[in-house]
Amino acid sequence: MADQGGSNHGIARTSRTRTEEQRQKDLERIKDYRDLEDQVRAHAAKNDFSADVFALTSKLLRLNPEYYTVWNVRRRCLISGLLSKPSPGSSPSKASPTSSPTATTTTSSAECSSSLSTETPPAPECPTTGKSGTTAETEADKEDEEQKKQQNKEQDQQNDQQILQKELHFTIPLLLESPKCYWIWSYRLWILKQVIERLSVPVARKIWEEELGLTSKMLLRDQRNFHAWGYRRHVVEQLESPALEGKSLVESEFEFTTKKIEQNLSNFSAWHSRSKLIPRLLDERNADDEARKAFFEEELNKIGEAINVGPDDQSLWYYHQFLMLNLVSFVGHPTITPAFTQEERVTYLQREIEGIQELLEDYDDAKLIYEALFDYTLYLCQLQERKPNEQEEEDLKSWLAQLKKLDPMRSGRWADLERDLGLRVVEEA
Amino acid sequence: MAMGSIADTLWDVVICGTGLQQSLLALSLSRSGKNILHIDPNDYYGGAEAAFSLQEAESWVDRLATEDKGLFRSASITKPDVTGLSFPRAYSLALAPQLIHARSELLSQLVSSRAYRQVEFLAVGSFYIFKAPLGPDQQPSLVRIPSTREDVFSTTAISAKAKRGLMKFLKFVLDYHSPEQRDAWKPFADKPLVDFLQEHFKMDAELKTYIITLTLSLDGRISTEDGLAIIQRHLTSMGHFGPGFAALYPKWGGISEIAQVACRAGAVGGAVYMLDTGIKSMATAADEIELELSSGDKVKTKLLVRGDEKVGDGPSISRLVAVVGSSLKSLFESTIEGAPTPCVAVVALPAGSLTVSGEATTSPVYVFAHSSGTGECPNGQSVLYLTTMATSNAREVLNSALGSFLSAMEQDQAPQCLYQLYYEQAAGVKQSRLDELTLDLPGPSLSLSMDDSMLKHVREAWQKVVGETVDDAEYMVFTDREPVDDDDYE
Repeated sequence: MADQGGSNHGIARTSRTRTEEQRQKDLERIKDYRDLEDQVRAHAAKNDFSADVFALTSKLLRLNPEYYTVWNVRRRCLISGLLSKPSPGSSPSKASPTSSPTATTTTSSAECSSSLSTETPPAPECPTTGKSGTTAETEADKEDEEQKKQQNKEQDQQNDQQILQKELHFTIPLLLESPKCYWIWSYRLWILKQVIERLSVPVARKIWEEELGLTSKMLLRDQRNFHAWGYRRHVVEQLESPALEGKSLVESEFEFTTKKIEQNLSNFSAWHSRSKLIPRLLDERNADDEARKAFFEEELNKIGEAINVGPDDQSLWYYHQFLMLNLVSFVGHPTITPAFTQEERVTYLQREIEGIQELLEDYDDAKLIYEALFDYTLYLCQLQERKPNEQEEEDLKSWLAQLKKLDPMRSGRWADLERDLGLRVVEEA
Repeated sequence: MAMGSIADTLWDVVICGTGLQQSLLALSLSRSGKNILHIDPNDYYGGAEAAFSLQEAESWVDRLATEDKGLFRSASITKPDVTGLSFPRAYSLALAPQLIHARSELLSQLVSSRAYRQVEFLAVGSFYIFKAPLGPDQQPSLVRIPSTREDVFSTTAISAKAKRGLMKFLKFVLDYHSPEQRDAWKPFADKPLVDFLQEHFKMDAELKTYIITLTLSLDGRISTEDGLAIIQRHLTSMGHFGPGFAALYPKWGGISEIAQVACRAGAVGGAVYMLDTGIKSMATAADEIELELSSGDKVKTKLLVRGDEKVGDGPSISRLVAVVGSSLKSLFESTIEGAPTPCVAVVALPAGSLTVSGEATTSPVYVFAHSSGTGECPNGQSVLYLTTMATSNAREVLNSALGSFLSAMEQDQAPQCLYQLYYEQAAGVKQSRLDELTLDLPGPSLSLSMDDSMLKHVREAWQKVVGETVDDAEYMVFTDREPVDDDDYE
């Protein structure tokens, strides 16, 4: 399997390697592909979205899932005929309105004629227009109509469910081969939207929960697939929404980031997700100041342990900085510990600076440590609304000297910092 | 392959013995079209690396009692007076329970030769250190050895400072071939690794124990050069074939399974196999040897390859193979999502962690625990392979280790031992020896992890048979005999 290098974090993306022998075969395949493409486009141009065209899109998309126009053709095939027509003014997931239970001939014929015009297979059952033109219907007749409508609706739902689940199934092998193809994910989302609109809430909910399971599997395969993370957030949002009678999943999602981090500390997406979940997590826990303080300390410990074994890992330092900003930049947005006094903030910041300095005992060439010390010392000054004192200036200069040595590529940046802060660093020979 | 009696053919090579090395030689020659006669005086495959049913173990022990000077001695079987032991063929006790690191050369050769398809490989899971009880009423415990960054992050058994030391060492080892690192360890190359860890990393006793255990050093005094090589192999093997494990173990009896698969490949390639057949006498002529086999047949060959059975220089080991009536499930849990369930766990009882006859032990005891998933025992039981340096009281040391290990397993009752096989194995000769037309391959290795250095001797033997003109880039590189459907995904 070919390694696509940086863009895939070393996770192999499948690719076919060709020998000369295979070249002829490929030329044939290209011809077949072109034929297929021409057929689909011809049908679409004629507004033909029949079951045959649908089958053609299956073939074509298996060969090229990135062909987004063909995904659209497929969508149209589904809407035009394979999926049931939603009856006017009602949707299965909402409470059925009492509007027009009786089928007057005009409405039904309108339904039928619209389905006929697209030349598709089984349109939902409609009462034949040629039925006896009785103008007044009895109560018994009305009940029969109701029952039939209900049966039709259920049948439609079952039919739709089958089709939609088949569609989800169809995309899976395509996703396995191209896990970062936008169009496949987008199609899945469209199908899942149809699931909400067309199927009953319990059924829809179950399908969406399976979707959550799918994102977990995708993230097991490639922990840093950012599509999968974004997608997961969207799935969680839907599961929490009223449309699926949802409740908050913030605790389990937080736990999920913990698990991912334990599997691989360098998981930037997991740490990032974690930081995004925290405000809501604490709100939902109705965390008081004590609880918030305890939570903050736990997070500090966790990231401290991580940095202790991975001082060169940028994602860890980003998370640490997120926690520090919680202390320093707390005006105008939710923070973990809004009730901290100035004194508490200063104490924590100082403690962190000291703790990080200890790391230098063993990791004296980790540039991110020096950067953190530099930044946090300035944070401290900012917090206390003062300029760096003499000792701090010495420290800043010495750290900057280390940074110049360890990271000569960014010499411009170090020079800027030097100038902006009025530090003049004496270079060691 | 020659038709007619074996006496009519001038064999290109007669291979005597079906131990690992001779079997790999047969595998390497399986597409060469050479006339190969492969014999073994035993009535089973595997030689010194065989796996035994209980019946075969008993026969083996009986036979050793009559012999005096082989590599194996002092063998005995003990069956405690308890119920639970299953029928003899339900067991496959391995004489060579070595684990094979994922990055080992042997595995690459098994893959390139396609022989790997016949072997079912199982994951070797965690390595543990046995911790003696802290007080008179306390139980002993097992501590997992962290060998990845995430392991070190999660463990609560090490201080923050010690963790930093460990991380620095792991980083050092991964890169130990680079000039900067070489300058640091070269002066210590032949000195014990523990000394280097002390001098260069100021490591405390506990961390040193972790590191030495990863090397599976039998005397705890492995040299710096050898030790760093093994640890690097362990670290780079971690995750190589899947998350959560660094080494593999063949199902159904370890190395014996590889020997059998290799011989099978030899047979498919046309080699003639005769078990229960040894060499009664031999006479060397100008460019051929005439052998009289124990079957009475007289055969002529251009080259004779045997395994050297003389005792060589180096320490012997004592081994206790114990069947216990418990699945020891807690040892075989996979710690990572998506990782295969391991069937082998390694527990080290470091020097000093046991007191035997009033004295603390001076060398480690290694316990290789095998679940029934290895096929070596029935469900609900496990096989333990305990190894230590052979000393005058090694037997007692192993018994004591077994007792302590079982009491550390945290069960309501300590698991019962159902069967014990004890023996001592001497170090073999380490070099090949070519004497006119007879090539003696080195003796079996006592190392607890597969030692790739033995492979070069097999390769040299192969070159001798196929001749100098054959390019050794073809060595062990075959295509499948029949088209196979390769599954690229897990």
